[in-house]
Amino acid sequence: MIDEATMVALIRETLPDAQVQIWDRTGTMDHFDVLIRSNAFAGKSLLDRHRLVEKTLKPARDDGRIHALAIRTDLLET
Amino acid sequence: MSDPIRSEIEREIADNTILVYGKGTKDAPLCGFTMETIQFFNHFGYPFEVVNVLENMPKRAALAEMTDWPTLPKVFIKGQFFGDTDILGPMAQNGELQTVLEQAFVDTNVKPTIQLH
Repeated sequence: MIDEATMVALIRETLPDAQVQIWDRTGTMDHFDVLIRSNAFAGKSLLDRHRLVEKTLKPARDDGRIHALAIRTDLLET
Repeated sequence: MSDPIRSEIEREIADNTILVYGKGTKDAPLCGFTMETIQFFNHFGYPFEVVNVLENMPKRAALAEMTDWPTLPKVFIKGQFFGDTDILGPMAQNGELQTVLEQAFVDTNVKPTIQLH
């Protein structure tokens, strides 16, 4: 279980410009859909964008606070 | 290749044009994302295999290291890693995946059971 603010903080440690939207899929605060917009994704393949996002959330993955995560990424709207 | 786990993975990837490493089996998926991936490929109609690695932590660790991808399921098409449905879904929407699948099966007599276009 993890709250939205903690997730956003973890993501922004690596992606300071990130705009983050989070949906709790199950109401249990451990299965999430996340949409992250950051210009750090520019020029990166989808695979690499997802690798980057997973790395930002690794601490919460490793200790089980996040059980499931569906990721969408985009660039910041200009 | 001396590592038997890696050798096993490389053999499985070589032997199956579409291979899904997941939690549970085709008939009894034990994770929502694995189930979603099975439904995804059922929809395309090409043959695919699912290898259950739920209880096999050494193999999961080897797979994660080989792909730099921490989570399951993991999808390989013709030996190439494609992540999961977060990657394949957008690729299906823009038509890229259909091309990848056609190319993957071009040397075989396999035709999808459902034609999507």
